[in-house]
Amino acid sequence: MKKYLITMGIMFGFTAAASADTIKATVNGMVCGFCATGIEKTFKAQPEVQTVNVDLKGKLVTVTTKTDQNLDDSKIKQLLKNSGYSVVNIARTK
Amino acid sequence: MQENDETGHTFSFDYTFTPTEAFGFYFKQEENGKEIMMLTPEINTLLKRWNLPDGQGNIFNMSGAGVAYFRANTQPSLWTAFLADYESRRWFFSYEPRFVYDGNIEKSVWQRARIGIAPYLADYNDLNTWIMFQVDHHPAKHDHFVATPLIRFFYKTYLFEIGYSSNQHVMVNWQIQF
Repeated sequence: MKKYLITMGIMFGFTAAASADTIKATVNGMVCGFCATGIEKTFKAQPEVQTVNVDLKGKLVTVTTKTDQNLDDSKIKQLLKNSGYSVVNIARTK
Repeated sequence: MQENDETGHTFSFDYTFTPTEAFGFYFKQEENGKEIMMLTPEINTLLKRWNLPDGQGNIFNMSGAGVAYFRANTQPSLWTAFLADYESRRWFFSYEPRFVYDGNIEKSVWQRARIGIAPYLADYNDLNTWIMFQVDHHPAKHDHFVATPLIRFFYKTYLFEIGYSSNQHVMVNWQIQF
């Protein structure tokens, strides 16, 4: 039982350590490729960011953070504001 | 950015140093009458932006101060322009009045309006195509009104426009964002 709990503990710890956030920000004003490029460039310059994807049709900016890294909502809003756009909503999944 | 149209040849190079301001250099060699050359530092300011669910509206100011040159006559050059635009993924509208003071060489006001439609809705990694129609009004020039149908293409950070004006000039514009 003890061995089982230790194993589970290690597995849980590994899972937690390996977690990364997928952040979906709904953005107003994003209508062209120039917009998308600016947003992509801004987010890629952040040390926490692994990948960025811009979906003009869905008005979504999807950001995946690096393992064990976090990008809080206020920073996301500020980065998008500096890029010239307004955030409507931010949703996160692990 | 380089513009070659019925008004002449324009080259500008700008560095965006804050989210709303860019600084750079502006060079223009006019045609369609006097071949005036203008060289000025310029500052471009985003005065107001509206981010809408399906579009974006902007008001910009662009201004420069430098020198104008025409037939061995060098004069101070001052210009300012306001650009108002609205763009969705389907429609584009813009209007730009421009005021130019080149000392005793020329003082002029001109205005430009554009309407554009995207024949298909392109996403980020697609080639974007726009069919546009531009009207220029130059009260001080021989051709007061000039109409230019044009096609705009852009892909990521590269923009290219080609058109042909009612006073028989080819328009070729390009812009690259770094």
